[in-house]
Amino acid sequence: MTMHRPAEILLVEDDPNDVELTLRALRNANSSLCVEVARDGEEALDYLLRRGQWRDRSADHFPSFVLLDLKLPKIDGLQVLRQIKTATATAPIPIVVLTSSGEHRDIAESYRLGANSYVQKPVDITEFRSTIRAIADYWLNVSQPSHPLPKPRPERSGAWPA
Amino acid sequence: MRPALRLYSIRQKLTAMNMLVSGAALLLACTAFASYELRTFRESIVRNISIQAQIAGANSASALVFNDPEAARVTLSALSAAPYILSAGIYTEQGDQFATWSRTPQTNEVPVRQEPISSAETHVFTSDRLILVRVVQFQNKKLGIVRIESDLAEIKDRLFGFAGIVLAVLLMSLLAAFAFSSIFQKTTARPIAQLAETARVVSRDKAYDVRAPLTTNAAEIVVLIRAFNQMLEQIELRDTALKAAREELEIRVIKRTAQLEAVNRELESFTYSVAHDLRAPLRHIQGFIDALMEDAAPNLTPQAHTYLSRIIESTRRMDQLISDLLALAQVGRQELNLKITDLTPLVQNVVRDLALEAGDRHIDWRIGKLPVVPCDPGLMKLVFQNLLANSMKYTRPRDPAIIEVGQTPSNGEQVIFVRDNGVGFNMKYAHKLFGVFERLHRREDFEGTGVGLATVQRIIHKHGGKIWAEAEVDRGATFYIVIGTTLEPAPAGTIPALANSESA
Amino acid sequence: MKRRFQIRHRAAWRACVRRLCSLALIFSLAAIPARPQTTPVDGKPTEYEVEAAYLSNFGRFVEWPRPVAAGENFDLCVLGQDPFGPLLDSALKGESIGGDSLVARRITSVENARSCRVLFISRSSEGHLAEILQEVRLLNLLTVSDIAGFTRRGGIIEFVLQEKKVRFEINIAAAKRAGLTLSSQLLKIATSVRRTP
Repeated sequence: MTMHRPAEILLVEDDPNDVELTLRALRNANSSLCVEVARDGEEALDYLLRRGQWRDRSADHFPSFVLLDLKLPKIDGLQVLRQIKTATATAPIPIVVLTSSGEHRDIAESYRLGANSYVQKPVDITEFRSTIRAIADYWLNVSQPSHPLPKPRPERSGAWPA
Repeated sequence: MRPALRLYSIRQKLTAMNMLVSGAALLLACTAFASYELRTFRESIVRNISIQAQIAGANSASALVFNDPEAARVTLSALSAAPYILSAGIYTEQGDQFATWSRTPQTNEVPVRQEPISSAETHVFTSDRLILVRVVQFQNKKLGIVRIESDLAEIKDRLFGFAGIVLAVLLMSLLAAFAFSSIFQKTTARPIAQLAETARVVSRDKAYDVRAPLTTNAAEIVVLIRAFNQMLEQIELRDTALKAAREELEIRVIKRTAQLEAVNRELESFTYSVAHDLRAPLRHIQGFIDALMEDAAPNLTPQAHTYLSRIIESTRRMDQLISDLLALAQVGRQELNLKITDLTPLVQNVVRDLALEAGDRHIDWRIGKLPVVPCDPGLMKLVFQNLLANSMKYTRPRDPAIIEVGQTPSNGEQVIFVRDNGVGFNMKYAHKLFGVFERLHRREDFEGTGVGLATVQRIIHKHGGKIWAEAEVDRGATFYIVIGTTLEPAPAGTIPALANSESA
Repeated sequence: MKRRFQIRHRAAWRACVRRLCSLALIFSLAAIPARPQTTPVDGKPTEYEVEAAYLSNFGRFVEWPRPVAAGENFDLCVLGQDPFGPLLDSALKGESIGGDSLVARRITSVENARSCRVLFISRSSEGHLAEILQEVRLLNLLTVSDIAGFTRRGGIIEFVLQEKKVRFEINIAAAKRAGLTLSSQLLKIATSVRRTP
């Protein structure tokens, strides 16, 4: 992997369609956002905890927030949440649980494990877009980030992760 | 406490019966004999005295003939041997005293004269005497008259003798009866008493492994005891079988419960899957069609655009359907959270929320006084949301739309109604009203998934109540609800019926 | 012949004396107890009346070897001077023993006694008593008399007077010799019963 510009959002989602649609919505909200995508819990943890393939990621950088789907292969989303929130380095990172489930126990468990927000993915595309916009707007602009991003370099590559 | 008469034991009864029978038989026999005896005894006494008179007379014949009173008196004195004869006298043919004898001359005086009698012999019974008078005849010649006076004490003595014998015999036979009873009760009463005791023990302790002992050879009792034991055996077998069956049943129940619980969990995960997995593709479809419409907008013909919109519309419907089904399932699984609820403010809240959606439609809300009932407020809210939303929907063509909610007593129950002046429906299809996915109107006229009323019915039935509807096409519809007093228990887990309306 | 004459004489004389004596007795206050009366005094039966009555009854207390059969007469004979007179007839009137009517017969000699059952030997015949008794020995007769010592001399029944009452003595042996069985009833009335012959 080439050197990425530090991502402002970590999207943890395994369904490619959902990834596509979410990225589209995020782009729609703010075209200049840098989003890192992890396709499963392990990747997400690798990224955040700087292990595995992300061993060499710069340590002083963390995404402004994480969009976490619960239905993930390998490590279950709630597990990921727990691990993120229990590791001292990553605990402060805001986690927004973005999942299709509206089950009360998922909501309760998520908050118990320390999720900062729980959003049920709306089916309606319009609603989805406005929801994503609202989330990004809030956590990027309204809420103070736990780890401020380093100042962006003047050059920007417009490459999007495939 | 003394037992009532009929509760005396068999043994006592047998003995008593024995003694009674023997006693009665004896008494009867003795009485019969005694009376017969007494009757004939008089006659025999008379005969006796008569014979004595004859003998005395015969022996005194010569004395009379030869005028020897002394000899006659000697003859008479021989009568002292007869213990009951008090006095005797011989008289001449004319009736003059010839010779007398008296046992106690001081107290027993022999009459001086005895009138001649017409017949050969007469006798008369006084209160305590027998007086017999006989003609002394010797060789067809009347020589004189002999008179004998006898005490009837003989009869009394005999009577007493009889009574004594009867009593003695009675006593002995009673004793014998008693003794025999005691002997026989071993073969009859005792086994029965034992049997009774065994029965009592069995009944009291519910111990069916007890058996009655066989200690007799009286045929019927043996049969009885054997039958009784067989019966006990049967009972024991059945009892064990029953116990085994019950245990088996309990095991089965436990298994079933486990199964049902497993099913329940499966259902829960099912709904979870539905929530998650069914919705995701929907979302994708919608999302990409939207993306397509956005990105390829200039290349899309209006027709293509329309089609794409309809696709999106379908996905929206499907999503709604899934939500409604989930809600229905949820309602089924949920346990009632009963509270005494005043329905009036509850309905007013629902109306307030719905009124916002009504926008500038002219709706005449008539909310009457509603009862205070024990119910699950959340679910009841759902019910009224559904019904009133329906009313709003189907009164859309109406201006003003009149939607009434109230209560009316009927058959001693409080019936709540929701009435509108909407388009109503054909009562011919009323039985389909509460079926899942059943709709009585065309989709293009009125949207809806056909699940709402099924959910409402489910909720009402959970409360143990009833719901039904009456309507007239183009005049409106009225839904009646009775909230029952007995509540059905929460079922272990149900899948909403996909055909006709499910029954409670 | 001589004996008969003697007997006849004796009987006649006896009767004569008796008549004289009875006349004398009327004036005499002292009554000889042994002397029988012929006429009833103060309503009581006389001695001979009683004896007649007894005579008529003796036959009932005897078992006759020749049974008493109906149709015949029961002859009661008086040998010698008849002391009874009509008394006997009246005593026997209407009486019968065993169906036979009692008939009184006066006989003067023993030969006529053959058909008698009861033979009363009067005192007039006392002198010939032994011969009389000898002659009638085989005739099954009941011999009765008021001769003193009659039974001692072989007679069967002897009338005696005891305390003014007529009694009799019986000689069983004589009766037995005569072939007669006397009823115990008779025996017990008798004042004495002689058993020796």
